[in-house]
Amino acid sequence: MTPGRIATLAAVALLALEPLLAPYIKVDVTIVSAALLFAIAAMSANLLLGYTGLPPFGNAAFFGLGSYGCALSIKYLHVHFVGAILFGLLGALLGALLIGPFLVRRRGIYFGLLSIAFGQVFYFIAYRLTDVTGGEDGMSVSRPYLVFPSFTMKETAFYYLSLAVFVLSILAFKLIVQSPFGRTLVAIRQNELRVRYLGLDSNRFVFAAILISALFGGLSGAMSAMLYGFIAPITSLNWTQSGDFVLATILGGAGTIWGPLIGSIIYVIGRDIISTITPYWQIFLGALFVACVLGFPRGILGTILARFGSAPVANDPEDPARTQSPAIAVEHHG
Amino acid sequence: MEHVAPELFNGLVLGAFYAIVAIGLSLIMNLTGTINMAHGSFMTLAGYFAFALIARGTNFWFALLVAPLLAVLVAIIVERTMIRPLYGRDPVYSLLLTFGLSLIAEEVFHIVWGANTLPFAPPAALGGTVALGFMNFPTYRLFIVAVLLLVFGLLALFLYRTRFGLRLRAAVQDSEMIAALGTNTQVLYTINFGLGILLAGIAGVLAVGLLGLNPTTGNTLLMPAFVTVIIGGMGSLYGCLVGGVLIGLATSLMTLYVPAASEVVMYILMAIVLTIRPRGLFGEEGLFG
Repeated sequence: MTPGRIATLAAVALLALEPLLAPYIKVDVTIVSAALLFAIAAMSANLLLGYTGLPPFGNAAFFGLGSYGCALSIKYLHVHFVGAILFGLLGALLGALLIGPFLVRRRGIYFGLLSIAFGQVFYFIAYRLTDVTGGEDGMSVSRPYLVFPSFTMKETAFYYLSLAVFVLSILAFKLIVQSPFGRTLVAIRQNELRVRYLGLDSNRFVFAAILISALFGGLSGAMSAMLYGFIAPITSLNWTQSGDFVLATILGGAGTIWGPLIGSIIYVIGRDIISTITPYWQIFLGALFVACVLGFPRGILGTILARFGSAPVANDPEDPARTQSPAIAVEHHG
Repeated sequence: MEHVAPELFNGLVLGAFYAIVAIGLSLIMNLTGTINMAHGSFMTLAGYFAFALIARGTNFWFALLVAPLLAVLVAIIVERTMIRPLYGRDPVYSLLLTFGLSLIAEEVFHIVWGANTLPFAPPAALGGTVALGFMNFPTYRLFIVAVLLLVFGLLALFLYRTRFGLRLRAAVQDSEMIAALGTNTQVLYTINFGLGILLAGIAGVLAVGLLGLNPTTGNTLLMPAFVTVIIGGMGSLYGCLVGGVLIGLATSLMTLYVPAASEVVMYILMAIVLTIRPRGLFGEEGLFG
């Protein structure tokens, strides 16, 4: 057993025991569920940011469309749990198919700018379609039954469901980034020109990455909607949510498989604790952004892995492929 | 028709705002690759500075001149201490940093000046309306357009008729070469950042007379400014002007006819422009991939 595998098993075991530990460590299962689901959205950002090298500031759109797909299907079609998830995924996928073509040929800050702008479209649509979505006030989401109508999920049951969804997601994520497809994404990040010379249409790979990222985001959004039982445009679709996903990814370690989980746990639980202590929690949140960017650009897991010399290249902020000065952009894509 | 003309003028005023904010964003983005998410906060900051100055007895004109300069002072400190280490890194870092700064700024505004919208009335000389023959139009809005046009003119003179402007434009093309030719590019970056915030500050002070002053006043102009940059094309100042006016007009016409679509219309416009011209209306080929 490698140290990595031991750490992985320990982490999963600890998460599995969390409902039993909750009364002692004073960390509620609901907040850990939230962190696990947040981590899936952070993985969605990580696929684009850490592996493909694109700044994903529109991923709140996928998350929010997942939330609204799930919530609307429960409200109007009375679907059960699996149906609600599928409608959430469908919503996110449709969103990605709509905005993907605009993003797919762009790299660097142009991608970031377009993803922020196009992501905001869905925010304003949900905001204005008051009759359907409840507009600014949001809408409540009743948690559907899992298999039998009599089986309604309590918090602990929903926690284990979230954990199961998370474990499946991270396994899928690992398979994707370690497949030839995932390697190609990393190659695009490192030297897209060379990928093209090898005869691969890099834009098609980027488009596929956006679609996969949307599915992860949509899954997270759908599950989160059912966890909280409430959604509103500002907390699900607004671009600031994309910023939070990216922060959690970088905090944990972009370009690493487990980084987003570490970042998400610190971010979600930290935000919960700080917001109960002080009404000015937003200052501390902002300070976390600043401290993370200036002091921890590799993130927690990235820094640990770098100490042992096994950090993935995708994690290095000084890696030439990650430096996008306009002059470089002209040479590469001009 | 009597409804359309005032809305078109309002659209022009709005468009002038978007354009000036977008030009500031664009200057910073073109030279250093930084997407400044704190741009709206600097606008609001200038607004609060103006409010504080006027509350201490200075007149509006003095505040309009000095408040943006105070915001620039803050901006220079921020650029030198926090943004400078991120040049040459992935753009995601400076974006996250400025996003964090905007979160901090919003809360600081809350603490110092409160969450409520503060009264900020332009001076009496700019109150009332001007008769334009076919319609009456608020004097303050005409004043805004005049100031923003003047600012744009001065900026164009500065960028295209001075040696410093020449260096700035050359550094956008190849900052390494400019450094090799003996220009201190670090100073150039700082002044450029300050220039962008100066534009934001002027727009900010003018905007609070129109929109009212609260911690998020500036941020409401940020997203339209992004769309303006995209529609106008990255790297083009005139693009920002045209893009801003287009969005302003489209938004106010929508407010008149289909109010529910007034926010979404600029994104639809953006999608149409990008479909026809992928680099935006005046975007330079090759700049920013």
